Amino acid sequence: MKTISRRKFVQLSSVAGAFLAIGYVPESTGHGKLVARLNTDPSRVDLNQFISIGSDGSIVLFNHRPEMGQGTFQSIPMILAEELEVEIDKVEVRPSIANSGLYGSQMVVGSRSIQTEFEKLRKMGAAGREMLRQAAANKWRIDLSQCKATKGTVVNPSGVTLTYGELVQEASKLSPPENPPLKKRSEFSIIGTAVNRKDIPLKTNGDAKYGIDINVPGMLYASVERSPVFLGKVKTFNKDEVLKMPGVRQVLQTSREVFGQNREGVAVLADNYWYALQGRKALKVEWDTQGLEKISDETILKDSYEAAKTEGDELFGKGDVSAAFKSAKNIIEASYETPYQAHVPMEPMNAIVSVTDTEATFWGSTQNPNGIRTFLSKTYQLPEDKVHINYTFMGCGFGRRSMTDVAEEAADLSKKSGKPVKVIWTREDDQTQGPFRACSLNVCKAVTDDQGKVIALEHKVVAQEIQNQTGPNMKAGRQIMGGINTDYLVPNLSVKGVLRKRHIPISYWRSVYHSTNPFAHECFIDELAHGAKRDPIQFRLDMLDHPRYRRVLEAIVEKTNWNASRKKGRGKGVAAVERSGAYFAQVVEVEQRGKQIVPVKVTTVIDLGICINPDTVKAQTEGSIVMGLGAAYTGLTIQNGAVAEQNFHTYPLLKINQCPEIETFILESDAAPDGAGEAGLPTVAPALANAIFDLTGKRIRKLPIDLARVI
Amino acid sequence: MAKLSLNVNGQTKEIDVDPRMPLLWAIRDFVGLTGTKFGCGIAQCGACTVHLDGVPVRSCVIPSSSASGKEITTIEGLSKNNDHAVQLAWIAEQVPQCGYCQSGQIMSAAALLKQNPNPSDEDIDAAMSNVLCRCGTYPRIRKAIKQASKMKL
Repeated sequence: MKTISRRKFVQLSSVAGAFLAIGYVPESTGHGKLVARLNTDPSRVDLNQFISIGSDGSIVLFNHRPEMGQGTFQSIPMILAEELEVEIDKVEVRPSIANSGLYGSQMVVGSRSIQTEFEKLRKMGAAGREMLRQAAANKWRIDLSQCKATKGTVVNPSGVTLTYGELVQEASKLSPPENPPLKKRSEFSIIGTAVNRKDIPLKTNGDAKYGIDINVPGMLYASVERSPVFLGKVKTFNKDEVLKMPGVRQVLQTSREVFGQNREGVAVLADNYWYALQGRKALKVEWDTQGLEKISDETILKDSYEAAKTEGDELFGKGDVSAAFKSAKNIIEASYETPYQAHVPMEPMNAIVSVTDTEATFWGSTQNPNGIRTFLSKTYQLPEDKVHINYTFMGCGFGRRSMTDVAEEAADLSKKSGKPVKVIWTREDDQTQGPFRACSLNVCKAVTDDQGKVIALEHKVVAQEIQNQTGPNMKAGRQIMGGINTDYLVPNLSVKGVLRKRHIPISYWRSVYHSTNPFAHECFIDELAHGAKRDPIQFRLDMLDHPRYRRVLEAIVEKTNWNASRKKGRGKGVAAVERSGAYFAQVVEVEQRGKQIVPVKVTTVIDLGICINPDTVKAQTEGSIVMGLGAAYTGLTIQNGAVAEQNFHTYPLLKINQCPEIETFILESDAAPDGAGEAGLPTVAPALANAIFDLTGKRIRKLPIDLARVI
Repeated sequence: MAKLSLNVNGQTKEIDVDPRMPLLWAIRDFVGLTGTKFGCGIAQCGACTVHLDGVPVRSCVIPSSSASGKEITTIEGLSKNNDHAVQLAWIAEQVPQCGYCQSGQIMSAAALLKQNPNPSDEDIDAAMSNVLCRCGTYPRIRKAIKQASKMKL
């Protein structure tokens, strides 16, 4: 356990308690007053950077990971409370400050918050508990082993109790134990139960505050016009005309960096957001689009198919695939296409930043508080302790809010205008500016023997790579093979990547490459199963000795009554994927209604080790399925170098009337927890396509699918 | 600019705005109630739903001036103690994830139940299908509306 000087974390987490209380709206940017007021509060003691105990016994747990809907606002304190031995209903949860020195990474991405923090949080909770027990033992002059911690108290063998509030002053003088004993899974009373989330009541009456809800005195609102053709450069704009508009204060050129590429814009700063929008409507910017307007879906697809003819870079290999193809009799080949997707967080992207000569402050919804702190510190040459990050609830994230670009825009405009600036993107900005989930072409090729058994399989991914979007390096990295199951027992197996670079910016989107590659891979496996005249689940099981894949596939057979004969007009399809350590199998059942195909039920079985809050895991799976289905039905198109779909009327999200019945089963084990925030998404498009084949005999190899036009 | 009188949640607020400013921004930036959300600006997502004389409307496309003289109810005014049947059912079914669209969902569901106390699945689809949720809380919204319809309050 990393030890931190107690003085340091006491100071810092006290600040957190005051400044970041839920629903707290800063009344001024004067940080100092609040800090001073809280540090003089003698009634609270912080046992460590996660645990604050009042002399009245009240428990505050600091949550160091921002909440975007994933539910760690509740599941992180559940882990702390379990080991601390306090009642989860009685604790107050507050967001912590952003400080990687105290908390490590606070970024919420890749379903990692529970996976990476589980052991650390248990130790933090257990260390607090042990200090409180030791304080009681010292007071009673008895052995530690005779002091039992339960429900925020310590009890001795005579049944006498002391509350944590009574013990905390003494406990705080003790050294935290480096390796406190942890509870066994069988002793858990909070972990594994469906505890109601503490953020939910705040989200039913308007109390929950998101970045877009925060106001800072003296701030200006900004709306930024950016080149519809990505990477367009500002040539001229009608500044003087726009400055005459009501409420408009300044018109400024700005830029933000997205994965190494500078993206320019012109900002209208006004007294309120609507005036900023009206000013932007009057703004006329001439862009130098550098010939990039010639790029369209057609040119991209042509480029991808040309690129697929090249060898590419081998990202995974076993056996000798090329030899197997040379001597092959039966070669099966299929290509699969997926489009660009926008993240579409319901809360449009926004940020408030104030940059002065001596300090910088951010308010807003972010998945990456440490990243914004580092950016502001480096860019404006301020010591990190002069950079204050106030993160709020997020109205969705899905990876979009792991980027710091909007805060960069707000910071640039604050520096240039001399005021705190709140940048709010419109929905059109969100959908047309990206960065996006990458589009892809997947070419799959296999050799089978006379019984249909797979002898060799090659999967080639043609796509952009998030971490390599600019520069001359054209070697594909392993990132782009995400979601391709190399556990299938095929003697000759090769995964190749053909890297493409385009002017269209891409980024992490819920489950990342797992949202595209498994559509190809799991559909292709289904095609091979059909070619071998085998049941698709049995065909997979015959190629898998991985116990967790087998466990979820065997369970899905039972949970969906898979082997029963299909009802008339119904079809079922399956897919199985691993993501963020969790293994899941899914069956989509579709029904034909006239010419329309309708998914009626999605059943998922997930193997994820220890489950912290089963209701949260189910909620996440429901959300993943809805997002994955939406992405199966719609996509962005590129025309004239720009995204064509401007808003929800042309890029619709899944609606309640399109939402099938969803059933989720969690298979637990004693293993450490895996990530649950994306389970169910990678499987839904391939399972749907496979179900459509089961019903109609037609293969779907291109997303989006128009369910009214398959038949 | 014009002086407008808005009756929001039973209280009268005098504001000085361009009368064309959508009600959404008047409520958020001038009345100071932020529970009503901006989602799309073109009445396609429902995050900005408020009640105007009891009828659910999209405040992002309604000029402030046309709401003057009418009773405006926002999520903050739906109940005093977060105890409207829909709010209680939303908590019981643990509906929200990120929560951002939920003001619009709850205001739409409350309006549905007022007009139709026992909605079928089809009624729910008809009333709720243009209120978007990116987190995918739809299965729980459906359950919560049914639960709220059974509550006697």
